[in-house]
Amino acid sequence: MSNDQIKTTIREFIVKEFLPGEDPEDLDASVRLVSDGILTSLASLRLVAFLEERFGVTLEAHEVDADHLDNIDDITALVAERSR
Amino acid sequence: MDFNLSEDQRLLKDEIIRFAKAELSPGARERDELHQFPREQWDKCGEMGLQGLVVPPEYGGSGLDALSAATALEALGYGCDDGGLVFAICAHLLACVVPIWKHGTEAQKQRYLPDLSKGRLIAVNAMTEPAGGSDAFAMSTRAVADGDHFVVNGAKTFSSNGPVADLAVLYANTNPDKAYLGGVTAFLVERDTPGFIKGQTFHKMGLRSCAIGELVFEDARVPRSAVLGAVGGGGPIFAQSMEWERVCLVAAHVGTMQRLLEQAVDYARTRKVFGKRIGEFQAVSHAIADMKVRLEASRLLVYHAASRLSSGRTVGMDASITKLFVSEALVKSAMDTVQILGGYGFMTEYGVERTLRDAVGGTIYSGTSQMQRNIIAGWLGL
Ligand SMILES: Cc1cc2nc3c(=O)[nH]c(=O)nc-3n(C[C@H](O)[C@H](O)[C@H](O)COP(=O)(O)OP(=O)(O)OC[C@H]3O[C@@H](n4cnc5c(N)ncnc54)[C@H](O)[C@@H]3O)c2cc1C
Repeated sequence: MSNDQIKTTIREFIVKEFLPGEDPEDLDASVRLVSDGILTSLASLRLVAFLEERFGVTLEAHEVDADHLDNIDDITALVAERSR
Repeated sequence: MDFNLSEDQRLLKDEIIRFAKAELSPGARERDELHQFPREQWDKCGEMGLQGLVVPPEYGGSGLDALSAATALEALGYGCDDGGLVFAICAHLLACVVPIWKHGTEAQKQRYLPDLSKGRLIAVNAMTEPAGGSDAFAMSTRAVADGDHFVVNGAKTFSSNGPVADLAVLYANTNPDKAYLGGVTAFLVERDTPGFIKGQTFHKMGLRSCAIGELVFEDARVPRSAVLGAVGGGGPIFAQSMEWERVCLVAAHVGTMQRLLEQAVDYARTRKVFGKRIGEFQAVSHAIADMKVRLEASRLLVYHAASRLSSGRTVGMDASITKLFVSEALVKSAMDTVQILGGYGFMTEYGVERTLRDAVGGTIYSGTSQMQRNIIAGWLGL
């Protein structure tokens, strides 16, 4: 799967689950998911469960933090690196 | 899906049941009355390797996978009539030893895991604060960086093993602008750290042989080397330890439910009233049949969730479903056993009232039943 496909899949999930009604195109790297409170504790767990299920990757608890999840590009990079 | 236990798992279960009945259960009623932590029995559990069930052998543990550990704890819950001791071991293992094993540096693992695994050190998980445990990340305990140390101020409460602990896995806020992600840091704080003070020890409804108390931090200087995981990375570490606790602690409840079921069946087969054994009355036999249904459903939930823990994947929703169902099932089954034993169930001699008092705590610690329902609803997108 290309990075663009990964990003689109993740973006659709985040918008559908945590930003209902928003335009997926508006979710770019400038949106700070953790710092702006979009990914709450439960939302971040649900996102990780989705990434693990959908892309067959495993994320360690210490990777589930603001450094790895704060924007869509970081999440895409993390998944891409893991699924290689 | 294979639901049969392996030969090794069965042998271990049998060994733990024998050990617990012979070494741990005697004196449980007296310890409950005295609110007494059984250090001697704790040490024996350490020799058995119970406090380090999942820790790899190179760090002094028993090296079991999560499912095998769950079956071992099930055996402990069955054989050990001292619910406070079972709880103390679980709190130590699941909320303290597991996060150190999973996130400790090599130096931290070498320093702590061998003694924690053998019970020579006792650990406490310090998260809940007096102002509220359900919204745990709204904590006010602060750790402020000062050179190569952090200075910690705040208070924690309801800390299981706190009064007897040698090491605290402490969660403190290191960034007030953030909470779960980026705001909270886990620290390993040793007993003799200046400014780390043991507060009051609580008297409790149940689990009385587990010492539970307050911990106070007054300008406690904790070295940077005591950070567990990364600075700001404590939230997911805590969440993961709660997944382990929610699944494996209630594995012990499954064993306790099995014990209650056997007690209820034995009594219903022998107690005669109105010229009949009470088990012949449908009101009694159906209550016992429901106990069996709850037991089997609980066991399946635990085994399923525990097998997922070892896969390394997030098991948040499974953990909450399991914890909610099994902890409430135990309360119901304990209540039914008291009722079936009638007046004898109410008296301390049979131990059933103690099991009921112990069971109630299960619907509060590791997140209340209401919070588990909130979490499950959240996973469903509600
Ligand atoms: C036996 C025992 C051992 C414990 N061991 C430890 C330990 O080792 N370490 C530790 O850190 N903590 C420990 N705790 C603390 C435990 O985790 C908390 O008691 C628990 O999380 C609830 O917090 P609280 O007591 O502050 O209740 P509160 O958070 O004040 O809640 C009070 C009531 O309101 C309900 N409620 C709160 N918020 C909501 C909501 N959003 N929706 C619906 N209902 C809600 C709760 O379910 C509860 O019924 C222990 C507790 C017990 C009883």
